[in-house]
Amino acid sequence: MAVSLIVNGERMASSADPMTPLVDVLREDFHLTGAKPVCREGFCGACMVLLDGAPALSCLMPLALAEHCEIRTVEGLSSGGTLTPIQTALEAHDAVQCGMCFPGMVVSLTHVLATTPSPTRDDIRMALTGNICRCTGYERIVEAALSAVAK
Amino acid sequence: MPGSIVVAPLLDVALDALAERGANGAAFAGGTWIMRSPIRHEPLQSHFVAIGKILELTTISVAPDRIEIGAAVTHTALAAALADIPELDVLTAAAGRSANPAIRAMATIGGNLATAGFAAADCVPALLCLDAEVEIASRGDSERMPLQRFLDIRSTLAPGQLLTRIIVPRSVRSTAHARLPLRKAGDYPVAIVSLAVNRDAAARIQSARIAVGAVEPVARRWERLEAAVVGRPLEPERMAEMAAEFADDFVGRDSIEVPAWYRVSVLPSLMRRAAAAALGGRALSGMEG
Amino acid sequence: MTAGTRMSDVSATMDFRRRDARDKLMGRTRYTIDRYLPGMLHAAVLRASVPAGRIVRLDTAKAARMPGVRAIVTAADAPGTIGIGIADHPLFARDLIRYNGEPLAAVAADTLIQAHAALAAIEVEIEPLSPVLTMAEAIAPDARLVHPDWHDYEILLAGGAREGNVAWEASVVRGDVDAAFARPDVVIVDSNFRVGRQNHVAFEPRAVVASYEDGRFHIETSTQVPWTIRNATARLLGIPASQVRVTVPPVGGGFGLKFDIAIEPFAALLARASGRPVRLVNSREEEMLTCLFRENAEIRIRSAVTQAGEIVGREAVVLMDCGAYGGEQIFLTTMTAHTLGGNYRLGSVRLVSRAIYTNTAPNGAFRACNGVYNTFALERHTDEIAARIGMDPLAFRSRNVLGDGALGATGQRFDGDVLGPMLDRMNTMRPATATSRERNDGRLYGRATTVGTWFVFVGPSAATVNMNADGTATLVTSGVEIGSGSMMQALPQIVAATLGIAPDNVIVRTADTDAAGYDVGVGGGRTTVSLGAASLQAAQEVRKKLLKVASEMLEAAPEDLVMQNGRIEIAGAPGSGRSVAEVASHAQAKEGPVSATGAFTGRGVPAMPGCVAGHFIDAIDIPVFAVHDCEVAVDRDTGHVEVLSYKVVQDVGRALNPRAIRGQIQGGVVQGLGYALHEEVTIGADGSVRQAGFETYRVPLALDVVPVEISLYEGAPSMGPLGTKGAGEVPILNVGATIACAVANATGKRVQELPLTPPRVLELILGRKPALAFPHIADAWADNLVRPHGQP
Repeated sequence: MAVSLIVNGERMASSADPMTPLVDVLREDFHLTGAKPVCREGFCGACMVLLDGAPALSCLMPLALAEHCEIRTVEGLSSGGTLTPIQTALEAHDAVQCGMCFPGMVVSLTHVLATTPSPTRDDIRMALTGNICRCTGYERIVEAALSAVAK
Repeated sequence: MPGSIVVAPLLDVALDALAERGANGAAFAGGTWIMRSPIRHEPLQSHFVAIGKILELTTISVAPDRIEIGAAVTHTALAAALADIPELDVLTAAAGRSANPAIRAMATIGGNLATAGFAAADCVPALLCLDAEVEIASRGDSERMPLQRFLDIRSTLAPGQLLTRIIVPRSVRSTAHARLPLRKAGDYPVAIVSLAVNRDAAARIQSARIAVGAVEPVARRWERLEAAVVGRPLEPERMAEMAAEFADDFVGRDSIEVPAWYRVSVLPSLMRRAAAAALGGRALSGMEG
Repeated sequence: MTAGTRMSDVSATMDFRRRDARDKLMGRTRYTIDRYLPGMLHAAVLRASVPAGRIVRLDTAKAARMPGVRAIVTAADAPGTIGIGIADHPLFARDLIRYNGEPLAAVAADTLIQAHAALAAIEVEIEPLSPVLTMAEAIAPDARLVHPDWHDYEILLAGGAREGNVAWEASVVRGDVDAAFARPDVVIVDSNFRVGRQNHVAFEPRAVVASYEDGRFHIETSTQVPWTIRNATARLLGIPASQVRVTVPPVGGGFGLKFDIAIEPFAALLARASGRPVRLVNSREEEMLTCLFRENAEIRIRSAVTQAGEIVGREAVVLMDCGAYGGEQIFLTTMTAHTLGGNYRLGSVRLVSRAIYTNTAPNGAFRACNGVYNTFALERHTDEIAARIGMDPLAFRSRNVLGDGALGATGQRFDGDVLGPMLDRMNTMRPATATSRERNDGRLYGRATTVGTWFVFVGPSAATVNMNADGTATLVTSGVEIGSGSMMQALPQIVAATLGIAPDNVIVRTADTDAAGYDVGVGGGRTTVSLGAASLQAAQEVRKKLLKVASEMLEAAPEDLVMQNGRIEIAGAPGSGRSVAEVASHAQAKEGPVSATGAFTGRGVPAMPGCVAGHFIDAIDIPVFAVHDCEVAVDRDTGHVEVLSYKVVQDVGRALNPRAIRGQIQGGVVQGLGYALHEEVTIGADGSVRQAGFETYRVPLALDVVPVEISLYEGAPSMGPLGTKGAGEVPILNVGATIACAVANATGKRVQELPLTPPRVLELILGRKPALAFPHIADAWADNLVRPHGQP
């Protein structure tokens, strides 16, 4: 029996086993490969999506619990190839290296900037506790986020 | 034998479903523990009953004499609801600093209490020092018990029984939660001291509740230290010295992250931090994020 | 052929943005793990669960009949062995299992769940053998041999000493060390150090999609070394290398993990057996347990030093754990001479590095490899020396660092004074007052400055530049973009600057061994240098050809023409001439498309004859130096170390893209902080790594890091193109050393081990940590060698 969900504003259905982690459904059924399964235990944040507006780890969410929910993946944050403010800031700061953590980073920071008025540097760093980056050492990501706040 | 999952809309439906599934059934709240079964090499084969969408289990009610927390309330929701209640700083800190933001948005308080294998759960010692009680429901029945008793029996609950509510009595007290992760944040604490004290007009401790988590497989109260601090001022250095005297009340657990001796060794320092935080009105101190 | 550094009209620095950032930010980039082909099968590998044993029986018949199973392959399908120095490594365990996790069989099925079910149905009978889990056990006189047939293995590089569980031994002797130690005017300082492994934690696990068409394998893989994949796959399968084509999608992190063959041959075999494309991706647990880790090591170093601070003699024994197969560690025995034997002027020196077999997962290369722990050992030892003779550690370093004309450990001569001026620059970066000492929170405060010597791993590269009729150019190499940006920024910059066109008009073709010439691989800081030099050479050839055609079109001498802003103009007359597109189309119409190739390899700096034995590289072509400085605060009750500040002066030769280099330094330092403070790897009694996931293996998070203050030191001699040196690898080199020295200074305790996790630091503070001793390292240096140095 198919599970229906709304992904990036579009109604979708999947007939995968209801216990299948959402990240695998997004990637293999809907070809939205932005979210990455890196640790599969909720520590790295690379699989992060927005579920009804709140950050959720799609590696730990069974498909059944996403039914009828509004899911937004990194692909659904920008439209028509136009970068969002946080994406623009990250590009301008030359923050990207291998790129695997950035879908999760972008989802996480999008939420932080939308819900925290005037975040400080430490607010941003605390908010990124669940987003690991192995390449960049974080500084430019934090700088970019702060510059996006100023706008 | 593959598992399955149904999403229960109401508590009665969930209790019925659990009773029907018997020993193969299991409640599924936030799922942050259950969904890691594959990496623990455990088969994901229970027949799950998801309780996270049941309104009465996701409700927090704040009354003058007590707080009632539904078992499926998330850490994030709890921390937000209690943010302006200083007397409950210990619980706000426990719920608001554990793991990482996304896990907190998914993981539930009930899950934290019910997972026997999770020794480093932040909310357990926090609720122990607040004299919390829990409610266990099953089809047609419900029972209330102190949290400590629940911790003793949680591995032997009969099929069809479900933790539904946590009840925290209110009183005038200063509380604090001192947790020690190895990094600044983001990992499970290697030791936790949760503290609740009320003091007399001369600022001497009248009664204390001190709970220690993560050091042993199950969190518990530090009764000898609780008795010893009565009548004394809440002075951090002195509290640390007394904690050092009674540290061998605990037998630390060895784990991949740290050896047993380390967990016990840091208890006096955590006691100092908890006392300082309770004094200073800040609930949380030390290496936390 | 080496590349010169001419080109007066080559652009200066360009902080050129990387072209792949947008897609990465939008989640559109398709890494190997994102490639799903129609009809693709899913594969899984059966791995041994004991560290040592004899395979009595392996029966795949039942598994082959399981639902969805399309192919199963075993040792019989892969007859070859590979290795560095010696060919000791088969694809599957044959009669003997040598590590927990060693592959036994591989299955391809319609779904991953079916593949795993099939693995569980493979019948395996193993007779356990007593495992050798530590290096001390391995070199004990009666130790069981990890490789009983070691003597019969094919030798790929002659000259290495080896015996039993000593997979390879490299030694260096320069001068008379015995005489130095016997001098009456010296003090002898003797230090022991130990380090554990480090896992790269590349976010994209090792992954491959393989197909078999028209008698050839097409392997799409997340790798740094497409040609190694091609050649090693062919060797393992027993087929001609020309039957293998390797292409590389964007790579989600490498750091050296992917500088070797990974799981490609399994997928290749399954693709051929099934006739379908096959996808194989390591789980995170497989990445944690069978990572090609930076090896664990034990170091004993002794020096004879005069009271005035002259190092008249130095000797050391380094034990490096290969794991079950020699792999990269055999090559890395070479690097001790250039790192542990680096940094300082030495009157005489003798060093031996022994790569030791154990029944654990094979180790490999990770950013600056053994340079990281050798620098830790050397700099801590240096501080111990300074304390012993009562000299300020900075003064001792300034007095002794390598300079112009100094001899390295292998007798090579260094050019230029680099480390000295870099230390001076660090002095100007350090504030005059130590503000941290004023803090009053009960913590212990300390700081340290360290120096490091590393190198750019040169090796062969090739490049082709094809000029397109529309004025764009296509750069074809086997280079791979693993995150440093060199393929996205430095290389197109070099070509663009040579041809006077915008970098956006240089198309960088992704790696394809069918299209581009041989390249050793991406890593070791070599992309900008080797691939850059080859690309420069190719671009210069194209430039010459275009100028010749333009000179005919414009009736001007080629020397009077300049290429800039997309035009070929007469010098001094901007706006004259023609656009590059016009010249290129004209050339194409007249003579055919314009293109040229370039090639590069190391020049080969000479070492002193007789100094080295068993070395793969006798002397380093391009040394890279680094000076690091940090301040720390240590909690005396919990052992937590907080890094308060971190400063780097890095020797870059010439900074083509300073912003990219700074990004590499911030990232590399943070990886180093993980090595220094958090990333512990321990081996359990079953021979497997205990840290199986991100809960127990802790990498630095955003709150654990500081912004690194960076100064790029330019001007040191370099044979790299335009005077560049590779910058991506060295940022991690000194971090363990700098943190260790600072913690030692803060606590007043003898730091001998990394990582400095809170329990380890607390143990030190409480005085409960016994001093390290290595009974299995003989006091007499020569007794630690399989055969006397230099004896064939």
